[in-house]
Amino acid sequence: MTDSIAQPPTRAPAYGATSRAPNPASLADVLERVLDKGIIIAGDIRVDLLQIELLTIRIRLLVASVDKAQEMGIDWWRHDPMLNADARELADENQRLRDRLKELEPSKDDSD
Amino acid sequence: MTVTDTGLYVYAVARGLGEADIDQMTGLGSAPLRIVTHRGLDAVVSEVGLDEFDDDALRRNLEDLQWLERVARTHDDVIRSVSSAAASAPLRLATICLSVERVRALLDQWHDALNSALDRIQGRDEWSVKLLVTPGAKDRSTVSSAVGAEDRPGAAYLQRRKNDAEDKARAVAEAEARAEEVHAQLSGSAVASRRLGLQDARLSGLQGTMVLNAAYLVDRNRTSAFTDLTDRLAAAHPALQVEVQGPWPPYSFATLEAP
Repeated sequence: MTDSIAQPPTRAPAYGATSRAPNPASLADVLERVLDKGIIIAGDIRVDLLQIELLTIRIRLLVASVDKAQEMGIDWWRHDPMLNADARELADENQRLRDRLKELEPSKDDSD
Repeated sequence: MTVTDTGLYVYAVARGLGEADIDQMTGLGSAPLRIVTHRGLDAVVSEVGLDEFDDDALRRNLEDLQWLERVARTHDDVIRSVSSAAASAPLRLATICLSVERVRALLDQWHDALNSALDRIQGRDEWSVKLLVTPGAKDRSTVSSAVGAEDRPGAAYLQRRKNDAEDKARAVAEAEARAEEVHAQLSGSAVASRRLGLQDARLSGLQGTMVLNAAYLVDRNRTSAFTDLTDRLAAAHPALQVEVQGPWPPYSFATLEAP
């Protein structure tokens, strides 16, 4: 690539605004790209790369087959908000309750 | 140990990005975006709390799909905005540096490789094409007439199920073969192409069996030629459902080594 400077300075349209599919990008598409693609450079938080590699493998499995992921014991997404709108509301509600509880009982450790 | 409670989340590395391009734009936690420029490369960063992004917090948070979705979507939003202003190479989720000097050090260390990656994607966009098939949607009448359904309903039912299964397998195999043709034609109209993993219908939200999930790197001034081609291919293959999405930032093609 020696002629990269010669590229005309065309502007991209606003990304996403001109999507031809009726739905906005699904979470599966977004995770596939932001976790599995993109440039890998080790930052200063060293554990993140390994963690993200593991997570990527799990997401890849999950995206390919919900059933197979479950067979392999990958069930951390079981009450997964992206699969179930009710679960999402429930998760929000749980979080609100936990936050509220924390306010009411500041001395107690709320870890489970 | 540095006593610091914030870090810099690096979203992307761009070339030719101006302050005006990111004016008013915010990243994670609604923190304003900043540009760290070094040797002609612009890192797009925003400040994040290390209570959310240090080793321990990340280990915990990455298990939390709600957290992950929020961070992934914000990451994607920032990259979409930045990519529409300048050639940008997206970094993988959760790349954190502890200081501006450290961001500069990364830009220095990876300078040539990042420049090459930006050369590959400059003036180009990623387009996503998925092909799906829904076997059995038609042709049902031809199956049931094969057996005398009146006098042996049980046998007829079993035969029908067997035929259905065979029809489905045949339809998927047929669709896979057509998908190869479509992929070859689209690849011919793109600068580069990559196959991505096929997605479970429950996560893709799409009906049918996915037989192709691919990304294409397309010259921006050839966009309409590419999308016209997808329309023509969809018309030529009525058995396939063609889902075209784009433009995406060039996630699948901004890699540090030649793809």
